[in-house]
This record gives sequence, C-alpha cells and structure tokens, in this order.
Amino acid sequence: MTIMHHPGDELLLSYALGASNEPVSLLVGTHLSFCTTCRASVRDMEAAGGAMLSDVKPAAINARALQAVLSRLDDNVPDLARPRQTSGDVPLALRAYIGNEFSKVRWVAVAPGLAHRPLLTRGGTRARLIRARPGAAVSTHSHRGEEWTLVLTGSYHDETGIYRPGDVQSTTPDIFHRPVADDGPVCINLAVTDAPLVFKDLLPSIIGRIFGF
Amino acid sequence: MERPLQDAARLNDLVRAVGQNADKAAFKELFDHFAPRVKGYLMRLGAGSAVAEDLAQDVMLTLWRKAVQFDPAKASASTWVFTIARNLRIDAIRKERRPQFDADDPTLAPSSERSSDENLDWAKAEDRLREALVMLPREQAQVVELSFLADKPHSAIAAELGLPLGTVKSRIRLAMAQLRGALGERS
Repeated sequence: MTIMHHPGDELLLSYALGASNEPVSLLVGTHLSFCTTCRASVRDMEAAGGAMLSDVKPAAINARALQAVLSRLDDNVPDLARPRQTSGDVPLALRAYIGNEFSKVRWVAVAPGLAHRPLLTRGGTRARLIRARPGAAVSTHSHRGEEWTLVLTGSYHDETGIYRPGDVQSTTPDIFHRPVADDGPVCINLAVTDAPLVFKDLLPSIIGRIFGF
Repeated sequence: MERPLQDAARLNDLVRAVGQNADKAAFKELFDHFAPRVKGYLMRLGAGSAVAEDLAQDVMLTLWRKAVQFDPAKASASTWVFTIARNLRIDAIRKERRPQFDADDPTLAPSSERSSDENLDWAKAEDRLREALVMLPREQAQVVELSFLADKPHSAIAAELGLPLGTVKSRIRLAMAQLRGALGERS
C-alpha cells in the first residue's frame, strides 16, 4: 500500500518532539501504523530531539539526588518482555479509545449513511471517528481552523482527490469541500479539527450544531 | 555546574552496560550526564525546579529499568533518553495520553523497502545532526527550537512570531530537508 497523502513535516515534528496535543498525536500515531515513510521521518526528528537534548543548558541537580535514585535502583526490576498485542483490525494507537475491532464501535447516527463517534477534546481540538456508507456525503463545508482526516477503512473522494487507507487530508479555512464515500468497504475516518466546521447551507449547520460537527 | 558533553558512542556503551550487567558505575556516569540536561529541558518547557528534578529522577529510573530494551541500531542513547523524557512529561505534566506507534502493532503496514538506515551509526549521526542544527539559518533554527521547547501547536507559534502559519510550515520543511541531508551522509 502506497500512502499518497501525508500529515506534513510540521505535524510529524510536533509529534516527534512532544508538542502536539493528544488528538493530533492520536492522528499522527495512527498514521504511522500505515506509513513507513513517516515512521522514518519521525525517527529522524526524534534523533534531532536527542541532539538538542545534548545541547540543552544543564540545570543543577540536588547533591543528594543521585544517592536517592541509587537507593531505589534495586526496587526497579528490568522490564524484560514487552506485552504481546492481541488481534484486531484497529491500529494500536487507537485501541485505548475504541477497542480492538471496528465492528464493535458504538456509533451515533448523524444523517442517512453517516455516523460518528466522538473520542476526545483537548483545548479547542477534537478527535472523532466518522463512518460513511458508500455514496454518503458530508455537506459542502469549510473549517474555521485546520482539519485533518485520516482514512482507516474504505475510501472517499472530494474536489481535491481520492483518499485511501492511511492517507491524511489536511484542510485549511480557505477550502470548501464535499467529501463522498466511495463504493466498496464502509469508509471510516479519524477526523481531528481545531475549530468547528462552517457549513454553506443553513440546514446542515443546524445539524452540525446538534451533533457537534 | 556545566558538565562536559559525553561522546555519543560512550553513552551508548554505558546504557548497554546498564542493560546487560546492571552496572551501577555506568549508571552513575549516565546520571551525571543526563539528569542535569533532562532537568534543564523540562525547566525550559516551563516546569518548576522541584517538579523538573523529580521528573528527571523518574527518567533516570526508567532508563535503569528499560536499558535492556535499548537498541543502538535504532537510536542513539541521547535520542532514547529524549523520548523517555518527552513521554514522561506528557504523562506527568500535561496529564495526557500519548498515542504511540508501536513496532508490535499487529495491523502494521509491513515495511516494503529495506532501508539503508539499518546500517546507520546513530551515535555518529547525532554529531552530524548537532552540526547541521547549528548551521541552520536563524529563522529555521527558531521554529525547530520552538517545536522542541514551546509545547504548543505551530498555529500558536506562528501567532506568537507574527507570521502566517504557511511561513512557519515552509521553514520547518526547509529545516527538515537540511537535517535529513545531514543524516543522509551515511557513514
């Protein structure tokens, strides 16, 4: 599987250096399950973090701190084995939020063919899953801030192209689009927005307010 | 209390001595090198001195416990310690989870291309990276350093610098191209 649409260096760098908030980290961490290219980028960026740590101005440590830590070493047994992961089709980073199987996610219906599942909000940034049956469309909308959509299963298209599993679509306030789910497997996306969507028509904007789109 | 910068290869050997032999003398040397830097890093990110010191101690205890998992083929000791400090800070100070990519993920896309990175000497690469960071044009170095020490999204960094978000993004892209170039000079 070749990923065509990546999160972009700025998101990867925020994730690698620990600056991104939890919803954005969830998006990037899940994308990495699909994308070997971005995994390599994050590893390089972490190496830059290590190099910067070497050059941070050291802060004085309490004279007794080393002794305090040494006295605790024998109580800290080595972590030998890493836990085995259980089976399931949900990427690991997402499992703490929705479990191991997409088929067991509890959805909230939004419109014909469309359902969503809010996951978390931090500050103004929200993460949720969106499920679209083939042919289902989200009304034309733009965004007050940025939105990132990661395809998990199935695919969708809009005015800008086709998005398949692992692809991340980044949209900014100047983009109006109308995503439509393609034929084939149901399309499940992880959507992260840092501001509510802005709908072009009145009715969807009311639906949007009710359902928190 | 400025401590001399340790050679990256020596730090790798010390972590391995801890992992393989529970070598406390090696641990002491790692503590002297890393604890003041981790504390300095946490304080630059806004932690008070006492909190930063407690967390730096936790980072060192985690190093002790996980040294057996340290793999110098994947990262230098400094990078590995940086990721430990980063994750503990998110957990303890921001009180957030950090959804992690994990190499054991059963849904993982298999790596199709065998990358030449498997032969990369990360300890040497770190020296090249540090040089490349110093060589970055000032405006690029600034956004990379803020990504490291500001704990905010780039939209907030852009607002603070009075720059369009697109400008911040393109500076990051240019900086990363430079840093990748430095890593690309395989030894």
